[in-house]
Amino acid sequence: MNKQLLIILIFLGAVLVSIIVGPAQLTSEIFQLRISRVVLGIFAGGMLAFCGGILQGLFGNPLVEPYTLGSASGAALGGSIGILIFGTINPVFAFLGSLGVGFFVFTIARIEGGLFRDRLILAGVVMSFLCSSLVMITMLMGGRELYEILYLLMGYLGIIINSTNRIMIIVLIAVSIGLMVFLYRYHRELDIISQGIETAAGLGINIQKLSITIFLATSLLIGLIVSIVGAIGFVGLVIPHISKLLFGPKHLRNLPASFILGATFLLLADTASRVITVYELPVGVVTSLVGVPFFIYLYRR
Amino acid sequence: MKALKVQNISFSYDTTDIIKNVTFSSEKGEFLGIIGPNGAGKSTMLRILCGILEPQRGNVFILNENIKDINQKSRAQKISFVPQETHFALNFLVEDVVLLGRYPYLSAFQRERKEDTEAVEHALAYANVMEFRKRPINSLSSGERQRVVLARALAQQPKILLLDEPTSHLDLHHQYAIMQLLKKLNAEGLSVVTVNHDLNLASLYCQRLLLMYEGTIYSEGTPQSLINNENLKHVYKTDVKIIKHPLKDVPQIFLHPEGE
Repeated sequence: MNKQLLIILIFLGAVLVSIIVGPAQLTSEIFQLRISRVVLGIFAGGMLAFCGGILQGLFGNPLVEPYTLGSASGAALGGSIGILIFGTINPVFAFLGSLGVGFFVFTIARIEGGLFRDRLILAGVVMSFLCSSLVMITMLMGGRELYEILYLLMGYLGIIINSTNRIMIIVLIAVSIGLMVFLYRYHRELDIISQGIETAAGLGINIQKLSITIFLATSLLIGLIVSIVGAIGFVGLVIPHISKLLFGPKHLRNLPASFILGATFLLLADTASRVITVYELPVGVVTSLVGVPFFIYLYRR
Repeated sequence: MKALKVQNISFSYDTTDIIKNVTFSSEKGEFLGIIGPNGAGKSTMLRILCGILEPQRGNVFILNENIKDINQKSRAQKISFVPQETHFALNFLVEDVVLLGRYPYLSAFQRERKEDTEAVEHALAYANVMEFRKRPINSLSSGERQRVVLARALAQQPKILLLDEPTSHLDLHHQYAIMQLLKKLNAEGLSVVTVNHDLNLASLYCQRLLLMYEGTIYSEGTPQSLINNENLKHVYKTDVKIIKHPLKDVPQIFLHPEGE
């Protein structure tokens, strides 16, 4: 069977499984909750894997992930502060945090000129460390809020969509889809960059401009995702590799495949997080627990 | 018409001057060689010519158009660049590597057209890499890879081809294959500019040479007029023996080991 069809079928299977499987009886209320979880799972898993693929392509570095650029740490910091103030996760605060830190990373990377792309990783990593320290402080200051902050850091798809936040979430998803299509434009540029900066420049690509554009768009996208579902790990780092193993190096093909695979993987991990224990585990814990052995298996083949 | 015209170019990294007020030009259809010792500014000059680096002062004209006034994609339709060595981080098929040479002709979501696939076929055949087309690029030897990169540059259908030491790291067979290919392309009207460390190859294949030294052009002219003991002694600080090629009227250089 052809691979595209196969992963789409597996994806649909994952959607079905995550709606049906769970500790509670499938009443119409539970059904509604599960649907909103599925929507968030597809959105977060797909986008994170997609962004990971874009960034690994731009930096030519297989270890880069969506959180390397710092905007996720910013969202975590903003979100934590929001939790301290309001006692519950506030996406607006998280998003403001991601914008603020993204701005710092951008500014640091621009100091003294040079190739923006190469300074970006260092700036992102440094700011992430700063944010982690600050998040630790918020955790120490919080009492009951500690638990909420932990879920924000690990990622959690179970936020309840109700009439007050529904519109906002729909708008955010729509904006994200727009950004993703915009980023997908650059599939050929990413192919070329994998053959070196000079090759890319020789073929007429403005690396400086491209890096800035991709940085801004992915930072925004990642900030949106983390603000809603928290900093789910592993998906953005490893799914793009799996996608390249299965679908080859052309970004035209492996970016959409990353989206589908990331969505599938996160849905299954989320289902597992509901089933494995009586407590609902943060999904970010499960993604790494399940994902790492699977990845090692696939890489050894 | 001039393929390339360079007027009063200066370039520096931080405070180090690499190119100092250089002026030269190259006629359309010429096979020009840039030679000179390490650090003379040859590779920097090549990168300025194709717009990868921007000089702090001076102007570069490609086919009578100022490089500053051409957008980057249309520049890449006129001039293509073959780096010394390409590292392929992703293991593309050979034909996909060559297809990326069509980038300057395609907009974001445009699929490759008939003329693009034709250009790729042509380039694969020309660079003699047709037999590898379905192989992953990293399974090829460095000589074969260099020919694939050349094919990618040809798929750009440029008027001018720039090469940075295209034959370094290659064995005799691949050196010869690359130089013969360049000669053939040049005979069909393509302007070729190559940076070369191998003076004998440069002398054998280039119609005219630029000898660069400490960021300036020390001398320019035909291999016969330029390759002489005085120039080489001054620039390379080395005594050499120069004799005429047995089959062709060009100078060839021999080292003589000390103490013999």
